[in-house]
Amino acid sequence: MRKVYNWQIGRNASYIYPENRPKKQWAIIFDLNKCISCQTCSLACKTTWTSGKGQEYMFWNNVESKPYGGYPIGWDLGILSKLGPQEWKGNKYTGKTLFEAADKDEKILYHLPEDADWAHPNLGEDEASGMINQGDWIATYPHRIWMFYLPRTCAHCTYPACLSACPRKAIYKREEDGIVLIDQSRCRGYRECVRACPYKKSMFNVETRVSEKCIGCYPKIEKGEMTQCVTNCIGKIRINGFVSTPDNARKDNPMDYLIHYKKIALPYYPQFGLEPNLYYIPPIHVAPSFLEQMFGPKVEKAMGTYINARNDHELQALLVLIGSTEKILHTFKVDEEYAYGYDEQGKEVVKVPITEPKIIRDYHDAKLNAYRQNTP
Amino acid sequence: MRAKSFLFILACFIFAGTVYAGETPFSEFTSYQKAVDVQQIGLNDPVWDTVIPVRHPLQRQFLVLPKPAEVGVKEVFFQSVHDGKYIAFRLTWKDSTRNDSINVVNFSDAAALEFPVRRDPLPKYFMGEEGKPVHVIYWKAWRSKDQDQGFQTVKTAYPNMTSDIYTFDYSVKGKGTDKTQQEKEIFIPGRAANNPLSFPHKEIVEELSAEGPGTLTSKNIENTRGVAEWKNGTWTVLFVRPLAVNDASSVQFRIGEKMPLAIAVWEGGHLEVGGRKAVSPSWAEVKVE
Ligand code: SF4
Ligand code: SF4
Repeated sequence: MRKVYNWQIGRNASYIYPENRPKKQWAIIFDLNKCISCQTCSLACKTTWTSGKGQEYMFWNNVESKPYGGYPIGWDLGILSKLGPQEWKGNKYTGKTLFEAADKDEKILYHLPEDADWAHPNLGEDEASGMINQGDWIATYPHRIWMFYLPRTCAHCTYPACLSACPRKAIYKREEDGIVLIDQSRCRGYRECVRACPYKKSMFNVETRVSEKCIGCYPKIEKGEMTQCVTNCIGKIRINGFVSTPDNARKDNPMDYLIHYKKIALPYYPQFGLEPNLYYIPPIHVAPSFLEQMFGPKVEKAMGTYINARNDHELQALLVLIGSTEKILHTFKVDEEYAYGYDEQGKEVVKVPITEPKIIRDYHDAKLNAYRQNTP
Repeated sequence: MRAKSFLFILACFIFAGTVYAGETPFSEFTSYQKAVDVQQIGLNDPVWDTVIPVRHPLQRQFLVLPKPAEVGVKEVFFQSVHDGKYIAFRLTWKDSTRNDSINVVNFSDAAALEFPVRRDPLPKYFMGEEGKPVHVIYWKAWRSKDQDQGFQTVKTAYPNMTSDIYTFDYSVKGKGTDKTQQEKEIFIPGRAANNPLSFPHKEIVEELSAEGPGTLTSKNIENTRGVAEWKNGTWTVLFVRPLAVNDASSVQFRIGEKMPLAIAVWEGGHLEVGGRKAVSPSWAEVKVE
């Protein structure tokens, strides 16, 4: 085991290989307050990448209902219960990561789902955290009874478990964008990556007898475009781009701004020790105790920042940039009225009003001589 | 108790010694010369009643992570005959579960014979080493079922599954449509990448070479015929090959000579795969009579 620096848990942590960060790191931010579980992202991914034989059960992007849903079933409970208590001291994780908790004969602590666990991609959909009493109504944040949707892809981790578990070195992390790929010609279908990935985002194809995983839509990334699951998001809850380490964070990079400056987007299960690159804006109606085990100790502060967004012009501007363009934004700028996004060459690719102009139309349209109605 | 554990530790050191020095063979087998047509020999040929099976202990793979905590198969019985042209190896071991169907989360029963490509200098017995390759002859229960019932597909794995549409599953019509087949396979990742695992094969035995752990590479030759049968909780697997083959990176057997060999067995029901396997404690040796 080597020691590598993991900024998400505020300390050095064990990993199989030395620290070797890519030049740029692919990442997605999701605003969980806005996801409606329409599964457009899942289908956008599926029709693009996994419509073949042997891929039927694969959802490189899936959306599950928390707290009970999961694809594969119990992926989170399976590994969390094996890991045991996960203590934080301030912003430093003092418990063990999955690499640190590994048995002496293993590289990582793992949970291997059963075959049938993969067969129900959306079991537990819309199940709330508890029974709703008669007369219950929503009065406060957080809600007494809650649920939320959790969209997930591969996190193209900085310290990928899949990559480190592969005995054949068939998995590699691209230097140019940090995307983690399985070499389809080197893989021999041992499924060590399937066992090792705690997020269960490496999957076995029974037709080709080798493992496959989310490819981060690298052909789009190479063209400066965001992934299929991001650009097709109906709820406009997602933004895809490149995240820096805290030391190199740029305030005008939309990803760094939300992750490092506003600290409003948090990695999920950072305590696993993989430095996953999916970042979530926590849903403000959910019990903080649940969110804390998932997103770490910064979650309550992030929820407060989000609730206060109406008083934060710059943050609001960024939130409206989310879902406004297919192009990856390397920088952004804000003025009184508009938020602007720029590509890698500094060319403006999008301009969005921070507050949409309000237009009130008459009940009667004189030109067409028709009455306008609101259809609820 | 203490004396026992001391002896055990001592035994471990001796094991380790043989592993690395690779000089004293752990077990010695003989390939008996018989007046039968070995090329055509069957799994239950009467000749096997004339050759005493030699018990060979197996232990968990203990050199490279991940290591199995315990293995499902702890001994294998070895027999071998030859007729001066062909050589046959027959392995028998107990395995109460037959794991030969492909699913998303299941693993195949399997067995492999490993030989050094060149005996001098002898490669490390565990998968060889750089510049000192080993030749691996590998049988997998999946391939036996493929041979008996046709190449397993998602339909055989999940017969009740339905899928509305396969967007890129173009039809391939008539003859001279190689190009179309190729075009179709662009969308089947393993096949597009020419991974040998993704294609049907004639033999149930795969031939590979390796120069150290993690370097196993399919040789794309099929010089070894395999026959396998699971009956009453026992696998019997037969490997038949010419003594000499026309491939520089394959093992060659010569009458009167001894050839180092190591055996590995995987119990799929025990989730064994890759390095999670039962192995010979060090090089054994087979004398070609
Ligand atoms: S497309 Fe967007 S809103 Fe719909 S389920 Fe996916 S992430 Fe949620
Ligand atoms: S999420 Fe899983 S499959 Fe994706 S890079 Fe991380 S460990 Fe690998």
